[in-house]
Amino acid sequence: MATSNLHKWASLPDPSSADLARATEGDAQAFKLIVERYQGMVYSVAYNVLGNRTDAEDAAQEAFLRCYRKLPQFRSEATFSTWLFRLALTASVDYKRREKRHPEPVETPELVAEEAPELGEGVDAATIVAALHDLPEDYRVPTVLRDVYGLPYQEIAEATGRPLGTVKVMVHRGRASLRLKLRAEGAGPEQGLAGARPRSDA
Amino acid sequence: MDCSYFRERINLYVDGELGYLEVAELQQHLSFCPDCAAELAQVGEVRGALAAWGRLELAPPPAFAERVMAVAELEPLPGSPRPFGRAVSDTLEYLDEKLGSIPLPGGRHLPVKNVIGWGLATAAVVIGFERRHGRRSRELTPL
Ligand SMILES: [Zn+2]
Repeated sequence: MATSNLHKWASLPDPSSADLARATEGDAQAFKLIVERYQGMVYSVAYNVLGNRTDAEDAAQEAFLRCYRKLPQFRSEATFSTWLFRLALTASVDYKRREKRHPEPVETPELVAEEAPELGEGVDAATIVAALHDLPEDYRVPTVLRDVYGLPYQEIAEATGRPLGTVKVMVHRGRASLRLKLRAEGAGPEQGLAGARPRSDA
Repeated sequence: MDCSYFRERINLYVDGELGYLEVAELQQHLSFCPDCAAELAQVGEVRGALAAWGRLELAPPPAFAERVMAVAELEPLPGSPRPFGRAVSDTLEYLDEKLGSIPLPGGRHLPVKNVIGWGLATAAVVIGFERRHGRRSRELTPL
């Protein structure tokens, strides 16, 4: 799928098969290299699904433990990053279904990159984080899976344990709500997102 | 057909879920309805912003990798036979994911896995007791 962010993460260099073999045999140093290389991806996925730092850290840790246990099942037909990306997604969605979540005041997470991200005119990281944070839980998770990560609806239905039709309705409502929130950040109702707010770095 | 009919379809359109004729019908409406055209543009902008957000890497908390390693080192080697306790807790974790929890009065939740876990523990004790006694009685019985 052209819009899928799987492609972005799939471009991270995979660990060499020798490194993977060593990690699979229990070499802690080899596994640590994997954790260090992919922690940003795994944590980002967990944060976007769960919406707060405490839960995201727990779920990201769980994702790496599942990775460790399942290393012998990894087959090189998939790229390692895509395989781990899916482990991170399912660990995060499972965590959300299982744990009592920690409500936290919304706080924009730190980005790894130095420069301000290009998210569209008048939309910055804080706007996106706040808008996602304010979405009802039931809308946020499917909307994140669909539009942040480009997962097919069928996969979202399976991951969240909800019927396909319900998932679609939730994503549609999530988008409608985000549209209003992102526009509310802007100047006027007729302007849409584009040109709604002068960029702080302009 | 009024706009609400097409508003429904805009989401299906951006998801690529409309058939050829439905797309043609929507595009025809968009060509003379600036409101629906604006809505389509905005949905596109929201999706673009979300996809761009998803390509960004958030910084994990400090010393995250070290904490993961500290927990991973307590694990048995990958692919090694699961110790019995580990296998039981994996099973319970799986059941937990599938079954969730039983709501209790006062807003608390009793995880279903705990109920099953207690059941398993009781069964293990009973079976162990039976076995010891069974073996002993066999040992004592002259052939
Ligand atoms: Zn219209």
